[in-house]
Amino acid sequence: MTDTTIDTAPPEAPLPSPVRWVRDNLFSSVSNTVQTVAFTAVLLGLLRWVLGLVFADESNWVSVATNMRLLFTYNYPAEQFVRIWFAAGVLFVAVGASFAAWNINPSITLRRIGVSLMGTGGITLVVALITPSATPSGLRTAMWVLGVALVVIAAVVLRVIPEPHRRRVPFLGLLIGVSAIVCAIMWFVPFGDYGFSEGEPTAADGIVASSTRVPWTVLFIIMIATYVAGRGLAQVVSLAPLRRAMIAWWVIGPAFIVFMVLRDPEFDWAHIWSTDLPMAAGFALGGGALIYLLAAPGRSDLARVLGAIVAAAAVFNWVAAFFGWYPMLQKARFSFALAAIAILLVPNFAGERSARLRVAAVWAGFMVVFHWLLTGINTASTLDITAPPFLGGFVLTVSIAYYVMLASFPLGVLLSLARTSKLPIFRVLSTTYIEVVRGVPLITVLFFFSIMLPLFLPSGMGISDLAAVFAGYTVFSAAYMAENIRGGLQSVRRGQYEAADALGLTTVQRTSLIVLPQALRVSIPNLVGQAIATFKETSLIAIVGGFDLLRIANSTIPNQPDFLGQKRPALLFISLVYFVVAYTMSRASRNLENRLQAGQAR
Amino acid sequence: MSIADNALTDEMASRDDMIVCRGVKKWFGDFQALRGVDVTVKDREVMVVLGPSGSGKSTLIRCINRLEVHQEGDIIVDGVELTNDLRNIEKIRSEVGMVFQQFNLFPHLTVLDNITLAPIWVRKKPKAEAEAKAMELLERVGIPEQAAKFPGQLSGGQQQRVAIARSLAMEPRIMLFDEPTSALDPEMISEVLDVMKDLARGGMTMMVVTHEMGFAREVADRLVFMESGDVVEVGTPEHFFTNPQEERTKLFLSQIL
Ligand SMILES: Nc1ncnc2c1ncn2[C@@H]1O[C@H](COP(=O)(O)OP(=O)(O)OP(=O)(O)O)[C@@H](O)[C@H]1O
Ligand SMILES: [Mg+2]
Repeated sequence: MTDTTIDTAPPEAPLPSPVRWVRDNLFSSVSNTVQTVAFTAVLLGLLRWVLGLVFADESNWVSVATNMRLLFTYNYPAEQFVRIWFAAGVLFVAVGASFAAWNINPSITLRRIGVSLMGTGGITLVVALITPSATPSGLRTAMWVLGVALVVIAAVVLRVIPEPHRRRVPFLGLLIGVSAIVCAIMWFVPFGDYGFSEGEPTAADGIVASSTRVPWTVLFIIMIATYVAGRGLAQVVSLAPLRRAMIAWWVIGPAFIVFMVLRDPEFDWAHIWSTDLPMAAGFALGGGALIYLLAAPGRSDLARVLGAIVAAAAVFNWVAAFFGWYPMLQKARFSFALAAIAILLVPNFAGERSARLRVAAVWAGFMVVFHWLLTGINTASTLDITAPPFLGGFVLTVSIAYYVMLASFPLGVLLSLARTSKLPIFRVLSTTYIEVVRGVPLITVLFFFSIMLPLFLPSGMGISDLAAVFAGYTVFSAAYMAENIRGGLQSVRRGQYEAADALGLTTVQRTSLIVLPQALRVSIPNLVGQAIATFKETSLIAIVGGFDLLRIANSTIPNQPDFLGQKRPALLFISLVYFVVAYTMSRASRNLENRLQAGQAR
Repeated sequence: MSIADNALTDEMASRDDMIVCRGVKKWFGDFQALRGVDVTVKDREVMVVLGPSGSGKSTLIRCINRLEVHQEGDIIVDGVELTNDLRNIEKIRSEVGMVFQQFNLFPHLTVLDNITLAPIWVRKKPKAEAEAKAMELLERVGIPEQAAKFPGQLSGGQQQRVAIARSLAMEPRIMLFDEPTSALDPEMISEVLDVMKDLARGGMTMMVVTHEMGFAREVADRLVFMESGDVVEVGTPEHFFTNPQEERTKLFLSQIL
């Protein structure tokens, strides 16, 4: 944290003296003084009330501490837990690499750090002062010590170090600093070691279990190391391929983690050699060759005709499957539909040999991964889990929310484009969809997909609970995404369309290269708002049978013999978890907006 | 000799026709914006379009690259007739450059990306080649040092020069200009006009809507004066500025000169 630099970028204006600031902002006039006093009183009252909830005698935080594992990973078997840590490791590597790939390097001035330390210290002291008598005395002392320490450090940063508003701490310093603080807390603060052993809760004094603190420490080190390595790599290679690789990973990687690493399918190798592998190879190589041939200049008409034929075949397969007749295996059905889309899009990628080869290679790679994943999803799990869902708790909440956002985004884009299209048929279909979905409560959509839909489907075309919930959320979220994006589309000026047309861009190129990038930029705040809503709404999984954070806190823990009826602490805890994630998303979106704006600002 | 071919020198008359408009009519709802326009632009000719506001100048040149669709008459650009056939439209658009009054640069792309976008995606040029060409063009319009900036960071005159470079990157045979200097502060007008003069001297076929009479006098081979959707008079600069025939032309010129 010490390697600060004095930069030449415009410095922040120097801070007025604290006394001056307080006088100018809080007590500048009689009415201002009255307001300040009144609001302070209300705030203190509220804080006292919350502290009362947290430290009340009937709040037994042991129920939360003991059930940490349940809240985060539900019934995932303890002897297989290394899979969870491995998955987290891969995720942290991806985060570090992505920070490096997108050159995310925000630095913060020492002054801002000082101000937030001062604020945190002040709040800690106020909490220590008004905390109810039920608070353990050791904790109260700790709060006093921490508060005083923070204020002293803040004072040193703000008043002793010269020019704190011009010294910046680089992002790496922040990353290391925050990681170090989190690890230090785990290694030195005596939270106690809670857990279950043979179904009985155990409790011991001391620091958190080594099975928790060691992996977390390693994870942070891995993330920082990846970031440093990625930054180094970025010096020697160009960022574009690194970014493409990371985007591909973020689309497909999490699904791989969930279905391959966490679920651990029991592959039937005989079947794979006889059926799965040949089929994957056929689609990858055959499709790739076809795409390569069709992408030659001058073959776009042929590509459109062939695409239409393949699309018709794909649609026929789905319709036939719906009526209980299966001309094709499920995987072929999916792959055929994807092939139709790819072939229809091929004319947009037509070009020289190397470009064609690249498109064909992307297709082949995608097919391999796709078939691998589908095979994994369709085979039984090796996990020895007492209750059926292998996924639950925070991991389930985050996985569902993440993939709903990912899937509903392109759907939303298509819907919004259709709704603003010149062709009335698209407009009517899309408007109907959006208005119907927006007029129905989410819970109804979820019930429809998890309970009603399986009744309509022919036998054999079952849909797993997880897939049903996922589909329901996606259908719902896409309608809202579409409306948000439509707002952005309307903000793109007509001149942009005309300039693109005048250059001879096709409609697809105009839309994807000119219109959407501008529309999406404008829509970021609304899209993130929608994403946050989706994240919180995943709590409705509970109602259709999933074990998400809310259900565990609200019914699983209060039903354990040792913690009968104890709801409050767990609910407070998951509120905090929801808040932290939602707030992080909202901050990230604000940073993203600033970054994009800084690029093109006047 | 029809009005469309008025005032052509023999040498000019022998050149190929680049743009031919025959009896072009265009309605916006009930309102007729073009009432049967006949204009021919020859190869390497600079044609300036004059006329009062609302006379249909923009509508005419926007019909030529099909940003507007005319309802009657024929428009033939470089031998290709404009019909609803998408392939013809894309072909003509990639051969006809257009510069707008409001620049219409893509704000989310850098200057360099603005220029290379169409060559890469429409002409399928390799990126490196497109970028080399773009730098050459930026050199030509005098702002190579701005390549990495975003349009919002440039002055109006610089933006319009980028817009010209963007059109030229497609190596068009014809350039259309719709009041390219009308949105500019006076001190920036000449930097854009200089680029256009340079283009004209290089032999580009151009159709220019402008109120810059100095430019028209110096650069135009012929002028066409429009009013209420009609072509009123076609002639050389000398003809227009010394001896216009029609009353309406005289009135218009006396107002703006
Ligand atoms: N999209 C449109 N819808 C309806 N009317 C239009 C449209 N575009 C142009 N017009 C009308 O057509 C007529 C000719 O317009 P045009 O823009 O071609 O005039 P102009 O000669 O370019 O004028 P200016 O010098 O003001 O640019 C005007 O009366 C205008 O109101
Ligand atoms: Mg006009």
